[in-house]
Amino acid sequence: MAREVFAGPNFSGRSAALLARLRGLGRPAFFVGPYAEAALSGLSTSVADELALYRAPQSTRPAFAALATEPLLRRVPQSLSGGEQVLLALRCFSQAASTAIGVDTALEQLDGDNRAAALAYLSGGGFDAMLIDNRAEPEGWTVTACAESPAFAIDWDALAATVRIPPAQAIAIEALDFAYRHGKTIFANAGAVLTPGAAYRLFGANGAGKTTLLKLLAGALRPSRGRLLLDGATCLPWRDGNRAFALATQNPDHQWCGATLREDIARRRRALGGAAAAALDDGHVEALARALGIASPDQHLYELPLAARKRLSWLWPLAGAMPWIVFDEPTVGQDRATRGRLAGLLARLCAAGAGVLFVTHDDAFAAALPHRVLRIENRTISLL
Amino acid sequence: MTPNGAAAFALVAVLAAILGDAVGLAAAGLIVAAFAAIETGARSWAALRRAVLVMLPLAAFMLVIWAGIVGRSPSEIAAGVPGSRTAALAYVAGVAARLFVVVLLVQVVTLRFAEGTPFGLIRRLYLPLGAKRVVVVTLSLIETLRQSIDRAHTALIAGGIVTRTLSLRNAANGWLLIQTVWLTAITTVTARLRDKWPVESTLALLDPALDGAERRLAVRDMVWIGLALAALVIAAAR
Amino acid sequence: MLTTPRLIAIALCAALNVAVGSAVYLVKLPVYLDSIGAILCALLLASHRRVAFVCTLISALTSTLVTGVLINPFLPWFVGTDLTIALVSAFVTSRGADTFRARPMEPYRFGGLVLLYGILTGIAAAIVSAPVVAFVFGGVTGSGTALIVGVLLKSGEQLFRATLTSGLVADPIDKTLQVLIAALLFRATPSDFVAMVRGTPARGATGA
Repeated sequence: MAREVFAGPNFSGRSAALLARLRGLGRPAFFVGPYAEAALSGLSTSVADELALYRAPQSTRPAFAALATEPLLRRVPQSLSGGEQVLLALRCFSQAASTAIGVDTALEQLDGDNRAAALAYLSGGGFDAMLIDNRAEPEGWTVTACAESPAFAIDWDALAATVRIPPAQAIAIEALDFAYRHGKTIFANAGAVLTPGAAYRLFGANGAGKTTLLKLLAGALRPSRGRLLLDGATCLPWRDGNRAFALATQNPDHQWCGATLREDIARRRRALGGAAAAALDDGHVEALARALGIASPDQHLYELPLAARKRLSWLWPLAGAMPWIVFDEPTVGQDRATRGRLAGLLARLCAAGAGVLFVTHDDAFAAALPHRVLRIENRTISLL
Repeated sequence: MTPNGAAAFALVAVLAAILGDAVGLAAAGLIVAAFAAIETGARSWAALRRAVLVMLPLAAFMLVIWAGIVGRSPSEIAAGVPGSRTAALAYVAGVAARLFVVVLLVQVVTLRFAEGTPFGLIRRLYLPLGAKRVVVVTLSLIETLRQSIDRAHTALIAGGIVTRTLSLRNAANGWLLIQTVWLTAITTVTARLRDKWPVESTLALLDPALDGAERRLAVRDMVWIGLALAALVIAAAR
Repeated sequence: MLTTPRLIAIALCAALNVAVGSAVYLVKLPVYLDSIGAILCALLLASHRRVAFVCTLISALTSTLVTGVLINPFLPWFVGTDLTIALVSAFVTSRGADTFRARPMEPYRFGGLVLLYGILTGIAAAIVSAPVVAFVFGGVTGSGTALIVGVLLKSGEQLFRATLTSGLVADPIDKTLQVLIAALLFRATPSDFVAMVRGTPARGATGA
């Protein structure tokens, strides 16, 4: 059985090559695309139905059991986390009739243990497997190298020269309580102090509260108790709006405020006003976009390749409209060189007084960016 | 009971509730209550609660309009007589009661088949396969949109475009949320249409899961449909 | 006629109807906004009007059925309105598709067509909805237009005429808003997707 990994930088044609290989097999295969929405069939509204859809009358393979599906059978698949959706997809494949699978960077959404289990399963026998993964070099796999392309190349020097972030404020979180309605308590009397000029990695198990904390800081959720202070002054982003944390979302498509970059930035500028708006002048934004490999701010965002959209999603935190740079899984789908350079850029920005908060499963990226760990567990936040 | 039988029963019972006078409505209401008690048991209280919650605001609004503002019934208006608030109240009671019976019926029938999976229910329905595909894909995309709405809303707040509170600015920017959700959904389905579905022949997997409608009505179905028909006859005769 | 991309477009537009319409219904806004998807479906298929009508109708009926069962049990009474909106959207509103996608935007032409199509759709919808609102709901559906009905009834107007009049006031406003949102969404839709739905060959896959 074939084991093939498509290697190369972004935009070298790896995805097209993997799909061409799957189509060329001449038999139905299984495909797990990048991001959660591309992992599952898009036809079911319960985990039970998703499993039933792919279940072959006589399955000859052992089930991929990294995800316990029994408690999830009545859950809507789209409500599972990205990692859970990828694990569910692999479980569906393990019971399916298809004898080939292609995985396009989807494993990058998994935490360490699940990622190792997935790679071990794909490396096992009984089916053909094709893989694109920017973080793995599985042993014993045939490597198909794809040639570098000049498309969407990032000019890191120009980017570093163009980025200007205002000095960040110190953040103090005090006595934070939060629970979802009809759900579990996420924070109970939690607190932390974050100082500018440093990077912080939010770390914790699935469901511990990493995304919840980001939402609380950005004002999308309101705590039942507690205070947020910026340089000692009380801040209520859930009431007054977010002015401090520029967030780049895990799926870049969730953060656009327009169909083109120009529309997106114009709306943000109008909404923010004042000094924040001044940071978003057309010349500065166009220079950032060019440095990130996008020639024109009038380019339709959704017509760009996914990896290019992901890079462009960094523009908002790097634009300097807000002092804290917040990244939710910034390196998913990005090649090794890009991840290393991004870490280097963020380290320089921290040294210049910016504040960086990030969530990532990419341990190599985290290791390249000097940071402190904000551990979220047992309803508290501890700074390690 | 089969879903097809339940659907047929519901259609006939709705007609009976809408067409008849007070006696016809009472007959329809009685049959719906019996259906709720027998087919859903204790869970029918949840259906009743939901029906009340749905109808109460509308009934209250009707009272304000008819009894509060108009002060007479439509027949009194048509006859050109001064009329009375009592007649207006009676009119509202009649309309609200009819709608309540219909709302309760929908809740109870939905609850009756809530235990199984969506595929299982849709498979049993006596509908063309194409129609089943449309319903299945629609239900799935509704969930995709719901998740996208939540994430895009968070991003708009994080971007300083909107806040959590009610405001004119938020209302004016609400359409941005719709645009972001729409474009995200387009991107998702385009990728499926281009990549995942052709490679897997995913839609071909769906057909066996949906094919297999129950072609016969069960005895239980026919009993309930018969009772609903009886109510319809009573309603039509009066 | 019903290719896979068109099946997706139908379902996606139906889902949009359900998502937006439900949100508006639950928050009790004084508009409906439950046909944006249907109008958008007609615009996506503007190059084939009969196909546009069939797909728009299926989309509207699907969303009405799903919403009726899951969220708003009063909606299924308005299937006649679905048919009407499908007809107007497919055979009238779709004529503005090229204008709505023109770059740069011609604002007066864009706005003028939105107004025209919105008013036409609203008038047609009001005429078809009035008997249902009058005889099933007693003139009161929970939206603010019932106040107009009440005032007219108080002045001695017959129920049906009062309902029709209030619908002719409110529906054109609501439908104009819906045509506007649908036109803007259509304008923002990537051309790849439009081509796929219309049956023109699409471009290659996105790259990693």
